[in-house]
Amino acid sequence: MSASTDALFRPLTLRGLTIRNRLMSTSHAPGYGRDGKPQERYQLYHAEKAKGGIGLTMFGGSSSVSLDSPAAPWNQVSVADDSVIPYFQQFADRVHAHGAALMIQLTHMGRRTRWDTEHWLPTISASPLREPASRSIPREMSQDDIDRVVHDFAEAARRAREGGMDGCEISAAHGHLVDQFWSPSVNRRTDGYGGSLLNRMRFGFEVLAAMRAAAGDDFVIGMRMSGDELFDEGLSGEDCVTIAAEHTRRGLVDFVNVMGGQARDHMAHAVSLPNMAFPVAPFLYLASAIRREVEVPVFHAQRITDFATAARAVAEGHVDMVAMTRAHIADPYIGRKLLEGRADDIRQCVGAGYCIDRIYTGADALCIQNAATGREATMPHVIAKAATARRIVVVGGGPGGLEAARVCAERGHHVVLFERESALGGQINIAAKAGWREALSGIPRWLAAQVRKLGVDIRLGVAADAALVLAERPDIVVVATGGAANPGLMPGADLVTTTQAVLHQGIDLSGSVLLYDAMGQHNAASCAEYLATRGALVELATPDRMAAEEVGTTNQPVHLRNMYKLGVIVTPNLDIVAVRREANRLVAVLRNTMDMVEEERVVDHVVVDFGTLPVDAVFTDLKDGAVNRGQTDAAALIAGQPQPHQGEAGYRLYRIGDAAAGRNIHAAIYDALRLCKDF
Amino acid sequence: MAFGALVLLAWLLLAGVAVQVGRLGLRWRRGAGASVDWLGGLRALPRRYLVDVHAVVARKPASSVMHQAIAGGLLAATGLLLLAAIPALFAAALYWLLIALAFAVALVGAVLVRRRRVPVKPASLSAGAFLTLPAYLGAYAAGGLIATLLPGVPGLLGVALAAFGGIGLVAQITGGPMRHAVAGALHLAAHPRPARFAGGAASDLVPLDLDAARLGVGTIGDFAWNRLLGFDACIQCGRCEEACPAFAAGQPLNPKALIQDFCAANRKGGTAYAGSPHPGIASPGPVLGVLHAETLWSCTTCRACVAACPMMIEHVDAVIDIRRNLTLEHGAAPGKADAVLAALRYAGNTGGLAPAQRLDFAAGLKLRVLAPGEAVDTLLWLGDGAFDRRYGATLRALIGIMRAAKLDFAVLGPAERDCGDLARRLGDEAGFAAQATVNVAMLGTMSFTRIVTADPHALHVLRQEYPAFGGHYTVVHHTALIDELITTNRITLGPATDTVITYHDPCYLGRYNGETAAPRRVLARLTGQAVEMARAREASFCCGGGGGAPVTDIPGKQRIPDLRMEQARETGASLVAVACPGCTAMLEGVIGPRPLVRDIAELVHEALQ
Repeated sequence: MSASTDALFRPLTLRGLTIRNRLMSTSHAPGYGRDGKPQERYQLYHAEKAKGGIGLTMFGGSSSVSLDSPAAPWNQVSVADDSVIPYFQQFADRVHAHGAALMIQLTHMGRRTRWDTEHWLPTISASPLREPASRSIPREMSQDDIDRVVHDFAEAARRAREGGMDGCEISAAHGHLVDQFWSPSVNRRTDGYGGSLLNRMRFGFEVLAAMRAAAGDDFVIGMRMSGDELFDEGLSGEDCVTIAAEHTRRGLVDFVNVMGGQARDHMAHAVSLPNMAFPVAPFLYLASAIRREVEVPVFHAQRITDFATAARAVAEGHVDMVAMTRAHIADPYIGRKLLEGRADDIRQCVGAGYCIDRIYTGADALCIQNAATGREATMPHVIAKAATARRIVVVGGGPGGLEAARVCAERGHHVVLFERESALGGQINIAAKAGWREALSGIPRWLAAQVRKLGVDIRLGVAADAALVLAERPDIVVVATGGAANPGLMPGADLVTTTQAVLHQGIDLSGSVLLYDAMGQHNAASCAEYLATRGALVELATPDRMAAEEVGTTNQPVHLRNMYKLGVIVTPNLDIVAVRREANRLVAVLRNTMDMVEEERVVDHVVVDFGTLPVDAVFTDLKDGAVNRGQTDAAALIAGQPQPHQGEAGYRLYRIGDAAAGRNIHAAIYDALRLCKDF
Repeated sequence: MAFGALVLLAWLLLAGVAVQVGRLGLRWRRGAGASVDWLGGLRALPRRYLVDVHAVVARKPASSVMHQAIAGGLLAATGLLLLAAIPALFAAALYWLLIALAFAVALVGAVLVRRRRVPVKPASLSAGAFLTLPAYLGAYAAGGLIATLLPGVPGLLGVALAAFGGIGLVAQITGGPMRHAVAGALHLAAHPRPARFAGGAASDLVPLDLDAARLGVGTIGDFAWNRLLGFDACIQCGRCEEACPAFAAGQPLNPKALIQDFCAANRKGGTAYAGSPHPGIASPGPVLGVLHAETLWSCTTCRACVAACPMMIEHVDAVIDIRRNLTLEHGAAPGKADAVLAALRYAGNTGGLAPAQRLDFAAGLKLRVLAPGEAVDTLLWLGDGAFDRRYGATLRALIGIMRAAKLDFAVLGPAERDCGDLARRLGDEAGFAAQATVNVAMLGTMSFTRIVTADPHALHVLRQEYPAFGGHYTVVHHTALIDELITTNRITLGPATDTVITYHDPCYLGRYNGETAAPRRVLARLTGQAVEMARAREASFCCGGGGGAPVTDIPGKQRIPDLRMEQARETGASLVAVACPGCTAMLEGVIGPRPLVRDIAELVHEALQ
């Protein structure tokens, strides 16, 4: 452990609470709530971080204090009545058992929510101005509304305390009700709650004072806030410093948790949750500026993905607690691994934003590279040794194959890994060539380092066939040979290039390019940026309503911004019908998905993305000789049970990842983990 | 006629020995005073020689046979000859047969002495006068044998041969190998640590009179006279050289050469030392007119040399005596020593950290901190390792074990100060005395049955060196505590694994305090595959972390922990079990693929059920 990481392992005491180290996870909304309660899945997810050595884990991002700020529609936590308290107590016990502190975030979303869900109550805010993200126009709050919400906050703080939490914070960030009052972009009131900044802070003062009165003097209460809303009509950096200073001067908060920007629209949202296109710790300076002006500890999160940056942030005095929220989603054992001198074993967050992107489509948060996160009840973060050591051959060194090899080696098996290419990583090596997506290479880099360390016998540059596999006398064969680019089935498919070929072979396509995207994933969008950056004139056509439709809200805006900047033309609602050659150019025939009218493009190149088709020759050749005939028992797999045919003479054969069908990185890694954990 | 001549020769040789001993005595008189229990020492001499010395000698059986033959034969033959003044004996044929037998044994011994260096001289043995020694021994023994067996002129020729050998041997008493024979016997009688022969550890350093005109050893005459005597007992057998980790690492220290340097410093014209030098040192240095300071700062104080020495010479005491002078009179402790000692003076710990940070590692554990006037059964002494995050994991594991056993225990928190071990080994006796005084006073305000610590250095200082400052405690190492908890079923462990584990004995636990069994009993409970390194128990090889060596950081060709890790690798172990914060840091600092390093407390905590 380097000397500088010592700064992370100094306890912090605030209002009588001692946090064992400076590592924390900020409150977020993984979509694990059920019926408005943090139940087993939610609790185990945080307990794992506690087990992994985190100092403070905060849960329940945007937990609701009032009925007109509904929680259930996005599987979050409602603190609007006492029925949540027993769940809090169970939660607190689980986290405290591993020595970590637990806090919750409490909020009223104000206008940043929808009226057409759960309770069908109107949205409310300081003034009736439309919120871009939810498109709701709230009712201006009356004094009765204000008094009611202040009371709701107080009641929620009391419930947090009775639930055994170590503290709570209010969210006055991301455009929630408290900062809707603060921000001149939302608050146009002329009463005592509007006008001057001091007046605009009045609502928050009342909220915090009521919470303190309800929760008692020995309960930690903090505030999450922006350090600069980063848009002209919003709060400036100076405003935010004033707000923080004023709240601490009045003794209303025990800590401030500073973030940069806000989240009122798509681009602002993407900026406030910086993905791999951003440098690390892009808004640390905002937290640092506030720390200079306040007397309470400052917390901060935003793309602090590596422990060296985290240690620097604390050691240099920019912040008191460093939040590595997504970093702990990728690896909940950061603290423990640092303490044990196993820094190299930390699976570092690559900033893909897969976790958060999923929750904005109503799904649950899952890590692109760690399939155990959020599945703690069934999937192990720490792989136990198997009772019997087996001989296992893994064919293919992409993410699925690497994860399979890693899990099998952790189980104590003898593992041989064949990889056709000269480098491990599979299709990630292709994706990582696309401009700002380079950081994806961190996924196979960690996996490869782990399998090397675990002593996996890696055969690079060997295209394994059935004979080579069987020569290893395997007990189990895992085929993870991935997928090959699919050129499509339309007439003229032989004339097109695939996005995979463009990136893999580094083809510089000059002139005009029609890029047809049937998948709506990162692939085509990043390929469009790749080609346009190199001077091609690119039109991206898609049957979807917008480019990169499957890409979530922290990434899609970045793709769109880049494509706008690069002059890529995006044409939605088009199917590709045929491609034909005309002289030395190509004609692409497209058909509008709405009115069925056909149109043509005369271009130099047609590039398509139809995903991949399985590469399964090895699987097919081995299938008949396998005791399970290559069949994966889906019911056992889903139930987390061992596969059938245990202990029979001969080998068992499975296929995972894109070799089974083209999907994504997480699917390949999850395939591998849930299958191999029982080998 | 030959018989008479032989007897006369024996008496003449005895006279020669007496003269030579007198000359040596004049040399030893240069040393400082020391109180010696002569009567007790002389009375104990046979036992010390036959039991204690031979227990060490017998670790190399061939050497043991050699020494018994040559020393036994020579002493018996010569001693018997001296008795010929009794006429009845002179006339007895059996008497002369016995003498012949003794000479024959000595002759075999002389051959064995020669074989040590011929045809190939091992690197750890010295050459020079040692190459002529077998000839003198052989001449004396063969001559004596001839004179007792053959009558007439051949017998007289035998006497002449014996005279040649005997005079050669007597001449070697002041400058050559035979000095060992007389100085060795006297050294055993006048040994500065008589407690070593009573089965005690006797590894505590003796406090220095800080008001004395001379602090430590600045000239050869500052050593006590019986220390000078002890140095002259050295026969240059090279066992210390083989045992020394600093020498193995190519650092400029050879304990054998060190002792010979002391001998040379005490003799006009020096001695013709013909063994391996201090690595990388070609010429005498300024310290005592013979040594370079780097030689003294290379020592890890591991006591491997002391434990290996058949003559029970106290190398480490001598090193510390000189360090005391270098540090206290010259402020010459090298490397980071100055900063560390300064930090200790103002902060009470070697890192110069806020005292409250000692408990940072335990944040959230809600440890009981013992206050003055309070009582507890077990006091957990954390040591300065507590400031290190890695070692915090070991301490947390230990605390977990103590909690599982429901022990009544507490820590001292900010009141605990560094025990002073590092200061003392670096020669800063004043710094050590300050720490000891404060700690003993602080501990005196509290009531406890015993002290448990995971730090063998703290254990050694609290157990063996604080009594001189008025602190008398029962101090238990955590491995002994864990052993006790397992034996008494206070904790229950899961089944033993088949992980191949080798245990590295900390010097200050094993050699300094004789505790090698408890950690092994615990380990045997954890794994069915405990394996031993070639150097284990009292013969363990230092991690390189003792004696302030990481602070003075004298360069060598290799690093000591790398050597030790290589020894661990040779066992095929996948895990090295340790029991000391220093060993943990040193062995975990070894780069590249290597076995894991885990404290026994961590392994036990993992296995708790």
